[in-house]
Amino acid sequence: MHEFAMAQGIFSTVYDTAEANDAIEVTEVVIEIGRLAMLNPEQLKFMLGVMFEGEELTKNAKMIINTIDVDIKCHNCGFEGVGDIDDSDHYAPMILCPECESHRVEVINGKDITVRSISIEKEDDESEE
Amino acid sequence: MHKIADVEIAKNIMDANDRLAHKNLHLLEDHDIFCVDFVGAIGSGKTALIEDLIDNLDEKVGVLAGDIISDFDADRIKSHNAPVVGLNTGTECHLDAHLVGHGLGDLPLDDIDYLFIENVGNLICPVDFQLGSHMRVVVVSVTEGDDTVEKHPYIFKDSDLIIINKIDLADAVGASTDKMVADAKKLNPDVKVITTSLKEGIGLDEVIEAIKDAKAHEAEHHHHHEHSHEHEHSHDHTHEHSHGHEHSHEHEHHH
Repeated sequence: MHEFAMAQGIFSTVYDTAEANDAIEVTEVVIEIGRLAMLNPEQLKFMLGVMFEGEELTKNAKMIINTIDVDIKCHNCGFEGVGDIDDSDHYAPMILCPECESHRVEVINGKDITVRSISIEKEDDESEE
Repeated sequence: MHKIADVEIAKNIMDANDRLAHKNLHLLEDHDIFCVDFVGAIGSGKTALIEDLIDNLDEKVGVLAGDIISDFDADRIKSHNAPVVGLNTGTECHLDAHLVGHGLGDLPLDDIDYLFIENVGNLICPVDFQLGSHMRVVVVSVTEGDDTVEKHPYIFKDSDLIIINKIDLADAVGASTDKMVADAKKLNPDVKVITTSLKEGIGLDEVIEAIKDAKAHEAEHHHHHEHSHEHEHSHDHTHEHSHGHEHSHEHEHHH
């Protein structure tokens, strides 16, 4: 349900960055979603699409959404690295240590939603650089 | 022709909320207030638990009562003579640190020892939003079905105390309390799981003890936080940069 709030945050980040860099058009937006973020990527994509279409600057932007693995630290066996995700019977996956299958794991990374980068077109201006 | 440029942003959308959550936490610690965030589904017993705690704790409690659009919960709590501020999220499904920050401004912070935040009834959305609390308590009732715990792993994994309520009704609805306890312990092996029937007063003492213990534990470690107060407002908490040692405590706040 809070995909909308997230989409707004992403949209304003993209828009403000584009403006600050004198973009005339945003061509691509790269977003990273951790596999543990409580977001539905399809809903997010839909809402962002509506927002992007509403502005000249972003209306042709291509969205690339990358899923980020979950990094864990196991408090049972000490393993550090990518955790196993058991989503066989869950929409919300459970995280396990791949070494010892313990649930006693600390999530280091994989909950975040990050605007990684944007590609923009700028007006050619020979007086600069 | 136009030139093309790639702009690296690396902005975490949750940063703004996390920053405000830290600000809330520091404001609360400046007033020696221990803050508990109560999450759980609609009808799990969050409001009833808060009412019981206000009546049975020997220290003063203030409450932020989150509701999508009504003040029913705030009114219930008001009748227990505790200062309460209702937080209406409008259409949103969770409280965020910004709303909580506003609510804090309307509470008599010098007069309370505990702040209880009642989140919006929802087992999913509040997971991502830190509020600035010291402790998160999740309340689930057996009447929601005994598969509710295993179906919502994140919120149970992210909580510091798990309460399984309305156990007096388990037989009537064909739910296994034991299964719910086992699922909770599997998801979050290190936190306490307490079974309660608030209606019959079962388990309340244990909940009070657990919250008091957590408060005492926090007070012991409080001096650790104070070192960084002066840095708080000038520091940018973006995750890409490594912080100095003075910020190493941050991770203790949200579990």
